[in-house]
Amino acid sequence: MSDTPAVSVNHLTKVFKGHLGKGAFRAVHDVSFTVQPGEVYGLIGPNGSGKSTTMKAILGLLNATEGDTRIFGIPSMEVASRRSVGFLPENPYFYKHLTGRETLHFYGKLCGMSGDELKSRAEEMLALTGLEDAATRRVGGYSKGMLQRLGLAQALIHEPRLLVLDEPTAGVDPSGSRIIRDLIIEFRTRGITVLVTSHLLEQMQEVCDRVGIMAHGRMVREGRLNELIAVENQTELVLENASPDLLAKIDALVKAEGGGTRLLRSGHPRTTLERLFIEATNEPKKP
Amino acid sequence: MSQASPSSAAASVAPVRFSPKRVWTLAYATMTQLMRMKILPFLLLFCALVAAMGFGFSTINPEQQLSQFKTMSLGVLQVFSIVFGIVATALLLPKDMEDRTLYTILSKPVPRFDYLLGKLLGVLMLIASGLVIIDAVLSLILWLQQSMLFTSAVSQLHSENQDSPEAVAQIREIVARQGLTWNLHWAVWAIFLKAAVVTTVALLLSCIASSTLFTIVITFCITIIGHGHAMIREFVFQPNLGSTATRIATFLLATICPDLAQFDVVDSVANGEIVPWAAVYEMTGIAALYMTVYLFVTHLVFVEKEL
Ligand SMILES: Nc1ncnc2c1ncn2[C@@H]1O[C@H](COP(=O)(O)OP(=O)(O)OP(=O)(O)O)[C@@H](O)[C@H]1O
Ligand SMILES: [Mg+2]
Repeated sequence: MSDTPAVSVNHLTKVFKGHLGKGAFRAVHDVSFTVQPGEVYGLIGPNGSGKSTTMKAILGLLNATEGDTRIFGIPSMEVASRRSVGFLPENPYFYKHLTGRETLHFYGKLCGMSGDELKSRAEEMLALTGLEDAATRRVGGYSKGMLQRLGLAQALIHEPRLLVLDEPTAGVDPSGSRIIRDLIIEFRTRGITVLVTSHLLEQMQEVCDRVGIMAHGRMVREGRLNELIAVENQTELVLENASPDLLAKIDALVKAEGGGTRLLRSGHPRTTLERLFIEATNEPKKP
Repeated sequence: MSQASPSSAAASVAPVRFSPKRVWTLAYATMTQLMRMKILPFLLLFCALVAAMGFGFSTINPEQQLSQFKTMSLGVLQVFSIVFGIVATALLLPKDMEDRTLYTILSKPVPRFDYLLGKLLGVLMLIASGLVIIDAVLSLILWLQQSMLFTSAVSQLHSENQDSPEAVAQIREIVARQGLTWNLHWAVWAIFLKAAVVTTVALLLSCIASSTLFTIVITFCITIIGHGHAMIREFVFQPNLGSTATRIATFLLATICPDLAQFDVVDSVANGEIVPWAAVYEMTGIAALYMTVYLFVTHLVFVEKEL
């Protein structure tokens, strides 16, 4: 597994056929990217930009209309490719008659686990996601955030090398989503590759090594996060307790300097990934 | 793209094989899922109904009473098991899709065929266990009734002073033939086979349409057509009936629909005829063949399905 990418997506295009040939919809248009082993890769984009569709294609749940997707070099349509991947779909739901623990046992058995190995692994996952207290309750009574955590536990049950997380923090409270963020950071230190989508850009900026920004089914920006958000010819000063006087002086200084130097803006700093996101996704739509 | 020749990397990976254990996990989950849909009260209601029928009839004559009881209860059982098979199957797949449980299951190393087989087995196991329970109840009732009828008939003969050994033996023979014999179990087995074939058809249709209502309606239509298979064949092979086009259409219909009349042993069982072993084997073989073919087609549809 030396330099085989954890995920490779090559010119993926997905067209959803409409009813009776009408209303065909191109949800993903010629998207390519690779995720290297050990990396945390963030896929971001507005609603309906094709992030979930791309993930489903990677997991072989959808057939690619064109192009191909691979997991550790194995084509997604082969069942063997799913041995080393854990998937958390958006808004996951489980058999509501099972308890949280039974749900984990069920998914573990599907992965060929059994006996004490499975039992201890399930307990470990319940502890990791903070569901120990709810383990004996029926999933039908779980809240949205609890389902999300159970989804994460389920994705991790067979110790996959790759995690594909579709909005792991949707519906999770702020402290819960912080826990999930910390988990992702921990996965990275353990060498687990993560492909994640989220609308919480601040958190994405904290965890991702690389990001891809999608809009209208296309990849509009792609690369290392640091490089993407660095604007080489701009400098940001962040001041604390600055008086209006001081700001006016700085402004005057800048004006006195002349040449190409201008004060572009002052105010509270925004997360830079967010700025990039809005800029990238508001570009005019390509045909 | 200078990837380390992905095809050779893929070739070195062992494919995920069919695993009976995994199928069992899925089947068991399906069974418990259906049990939670309040199936058990239904079963109890049915048992109560059958018991009431068994003892509630006025005594006409022993032979008729036993035969009527069997016809009624087996008929109800047949309808019940088919309805259950169709409705349960039609509910399962669309529900898994809507709930996105299918995403989490199929994103594990689970071949789609294992999933399908698990679902089918789950439904069939539940039908089978229901039938086993009902078979036991029926046998008990039949046996009780048989002995009751026998004693009452003998005492009647006795009061009429006609209880010669031959007459008693004759009554015993009649009652025994109509009472509890292996035939009853074969009839229940035939009911199971028919329900199993219809359930497989329902699975196929729900894979094609992923709509509960469509599956239920169409499977019922196919079930009805399946019972009139002989009639359809007659129509196809009569040279002077209908146009060629309608004949071809009917022929296609006959090919698609299973011949469910193959499993109709209930009548002969009710008449007290002995079902030969050969007939049981044949029936089982036909059912297995139908199910294999339908399951294969279902697999072809499901493998290509977009989720
Ligand atoms: N099964 C389907 N049939 C038809 N169209 C679909 C299907 N699934 C998704 N789409 C369409 O594809 C587009 C992309 O959907 P997708 O779910 O990938 O978006 P997303 O980026 O995940 O959005 P969100 O941030 O809201 O989760 C949407 O316009 C959606 O309507
Ligand atoms: Mg999505």
